[in-house]
Amino acid sequence: MNRKRILLSALVLAVCSILVFGCKKSSNNVVAPSPTVGYIKIAEGYAAGAATKVEIYAVDSAFTGYNKLYIALFDSVNNTFVETAQVTLMPNMDMMSMSHSAPYENPASTSAVNKMFPCSVCFIMPSSGGTWTLAVTVQNLINSKNGVATITINVKDPSTARMFSFISPIDSGKYFVSFIPPVKPIVGINDFEVVVYKKHSMMMFPADSSLGISFIPTMPTMSHSSPNNVDPVHSGKGHYKGKVNFTMTGFWRLSTTFRSSMAVADSAHYFDITF
Amino acid sequence: MICLLVFLYSAGNAQDYKKYPDKDTTVNVQLNEVTIKGPLIGSDQRIKDFYMANKAATTEDVLSKLPEINMIRRGSYGVEPLIRTYNTGQINLLVDGMRIHGACTDKMDPASIYIEPKNLQGIHIQTTHGAVAGSTIGGTVDFKLREADCGCGKRVTGYVSSGYQSAARSLFETAGLNIGSSKWAIRSNITYRGAEDYRSGGGEIVPYSRYSKLNYGLSAKYIFATNWYTKADFIYDDGWNIGYPALPMDVGYAAARIAAVSIVKQKVNAKWSNSEYKLYANNVYHLMDDTHRDNLAIHMDMPGHSNTFGSYANATLQFDHDQNMQFRADISTTELTASMTMHQLNQPPMYMLTWPDNRSIQAGFGAIYNNRFDTLSSITISARLDQFVNYLTSRAGKDQLSVLQKSTDDISRTLKNISTEMAHHFSPRCEISVIAGYAERMPSSSELYGFYLFNAFDNYDYVGSTTLKKEQAYKADINMQYTVSKIHFSFTSFATKIDNYILGIHQPVFNAMTIGANGVKTYENIEFAYMAGMEAGVFYKAEHKFQFISTFKYNYGTDNNSEHLPLVAPFKNVTSIRKQLKHWAMQLDAESACAQYKVNKSSGETPTREFFIAHVRGGYFGSLSQKPFGIDCGIENIFDVAYKEHLDWGKVSRPGRNLYIQVSYSF
Repeated sequence: MNRKRILLSALVLAVCSILVFGCKKSSNNVVAPSPTVGYIKIAEGYAAGAATKVEIYAVDSAFTGYNKLYIALFDSVNNTFVETAQVTLMPNMDMMSMSHSAPYENPASTSAVNKMFPCSVCFIMPSSGGTWTLAVTVQNLINSKNGVATITINVKDPSTARMFSFISPIDSGKYFVSFIPPVKPIVGINDFEVVVYKKHSMMMFPADSSLGISFIPTMPTMSHSSPNNVDPVHSGKGHYKGKVNFTMTGFWRLSTTFRSSMAVADSAHYFDITF
Repeated sequence: MICLLVFLYSAGNAQDYKKYPDKDTTVNVQLNEVTIKGPLIGSDQRIKDFYMANKAATTEDVLSKLPEINMIRRGSYGVEPLIRTYNTGQINLLVDGMRIHGACTDKMDPASIYIEPKNLQGIHIQTTHGAVAGSTIGGTVDFKLREADCGCGKRVTGYVSSGYQSAARSLFETAGLNIGSSKWAIRSNITYRGAEDYRSGGGEIVPYSRYSKLNYGLSAKYIFATNWYTKADFIYDDGWNIGYPALPMDVGYAAARIAAVSIVKQKVNAKWSNSEYKLYANNVYHLMDDTHRDNLAIHMDMPGHSNTFGSYANATLQFDHDQNMQFRADISTTELTASMTMHQLNQPPMYMLTWPDNRSIQAGFGAIYNNRFDTLSSITISARLDQFVNYLTSRAGKDQLSVLQKSTDDISRTLKNISTEMAHHFSPRCEISVIAGYAERMPSSSELYGFYLFNAFDNYDYVGSTTLKKEQAYKADINMQYTVSKIHFSFTSFATKIDNYILGIHQPVFNAMTIGANGVKTYENIEFAYMAGMEAGVFYKAEHKFQFISTFKYNYGTDNNSEHLPLVAPFKNVTSIRKQLKHWAMQLDAESACAQYKVNKSSGETPTREFFIAHVRGGYFGSLSQKPFGIDCGIENIFDVAYKEHLDWGKVSRPGRNLYIQVSYSF
């Protein structure tokens, strides 16, 4: 009798557990979220000839430095995403007396990624000195029409600098160096990128892969470093990928050294991260 | 493993008892109802009076008098016991068989601080093997908790004791109550200790040496039948504002909660005996504090947590009149986490894990076989197998440790321990025993996972290594006992070679995190290290009236480059003479140590001077309203010598002349 009761209790417990934990299946009827969720729209315009509305999205508002942008194209007739198009960029800074461009990266493909076209512009100064416009040329491969949207973008200096430039004493070239910090810094190993462009003319800033980069992360207020960091190595299109180790949260400074043919081209600059 | 535990307990229960004294090299210092055994101390009460001379003594005071024990001192409180030259990671420090892991990354909280002498039945020290207590190369210190007393016909008993010591203007107040009947008993006690900054020899006040603590102990017992009972123990220990003059930080609050339930069956029948099954849990919380320090470079919060659960079963199997075998099976798991948050003006908090969240799971099985060939010779073989799995329990912990570019995978190690002891009486006066053993130990959590742990001893930050191999020790001991009339001599000599000895090695590429530190060391296995030494004792006793005890100890250690190991105590002698009258007692103690020049230069260790200090103690033991009443008083460090022992960190002077009085009343 007693044994039976124990067995039964165990059975009841087991069944209850199955009922409680077994019914935790998630339903699959969730509506896919909009591809722009998580991004903010920093500007928009209309590529008239292409009958396409152009919206520019980014994780943050535009700042001086390397901005990863996501261009969403909408068919102006039915307001649906245009997911096949040739998109090319041309940034321009109009300073009244003169104008210049900035480094940029066109979308890599004519097919959108998650309905948007990833690209980038490295704004080399803030809008306070003039007006930044981004000319987005759209060759809409759905309706086979072409057009250009020239969109004004308000660029601000970030609270922590994300870009600097230097003139190399070795080749007298002017280099623009941008920092792509870790997406979410952790106490641990963090991936980061440095993007280097070299000024050829006022309108041409091609990617540069000729430099050797090393860095030392320190906590300036604590006077210590961290071990086992990996210097950025060129991985294509001026992007140098490295790893920085943070041994604690707080204010860290990555002091960089750039070498051109083994000679130091610049060692006066740094990037800061606080987390 | 659980099956094994249950089996051992039930096997022990199944039947009976007839037991020989252990032939292993065990030192039992039983503080109450004393029976002391072991080669060094002999089989009587030779050193009981010596150790219990001062009723105001802490557990650390008692430990420090034992020849096998050396103490690392960072302040008045939390003195860390070592066995010979073996450090905390190399020994087991147990409370009634329970594993307790301190919650402090800086070893400020050895388990000995949670045990008040009033909670203590005895101190069990084992130097030759870890068959019962757990794989160890250095040995085991086990604090046996005092059980509730079912009383000798007296239902309620109790005591009150109050004392004062002048060096630290400290108070020691304790009271206890025991309620017992023939079937059950409950024992509770409460102890308060509070000390101000103490005065060192010569009169200088040592700043940051104060402490306060409160300790409650509760023990209950229920008797099922003769020699068959269950008991529950609970210890609640709170300490606050504890100063560590040798460290850059103090402790704001430290708490330990220790609980255990046991079933004990003794003397059952002729086959099985002494079975015990215990289930235990303990939790330690430790919060370092620097808010009382002047000229602070940076303010830090450093909390640490330790949680341990475990269980063990013991039983002894009697084969025949001359042979028996003791079994032990145990499992335990410890979870540790400790962090540091630094606060700087106008800066965001700087946070890191000093012990990345980690867990250690251990399961072991050990056995000791005793065979008495004849009345003159015996052999004892001890063996143990332990399986450890240590792993990081949080993503944050793994992320952080990956900075060191060592594996963050689970760490699994199997440990083997074996030891043989042969003993022979060459004459009725002389017994010699020889012990040879092989032992392994698991690297400690700090050695595996420690992340920039500041060590004030050598002023380096220490970083763990998850790829550490286990230490392997080849041990040899020889022990001799000789008795002439009322004089007893004992001599023990030991030598150990430890392969894969774990030592901090300076890494110039690493950058110290602690402001002002010399650099960073990582724990590494060096090829080997040697340790050797001796302990000797002379005991004289003329009935109760006159006793003389003198103990000597010497330790020596070198690494594979023939450099002296750090923190090796020099030659030390403790001598005591006690004269007892009917109600009065008088005792003179002398402690002296040679200078230590054999220092580890690469860690910045410096020589320590020799010292000689003397204490005088007196006592009156009478009655008040026909109840026992006693006064203990004395002067420690009579000549107010400014001295430090070699294992005292930071070269902080020890207390100077200390007048104490302790008044006790029992009912």
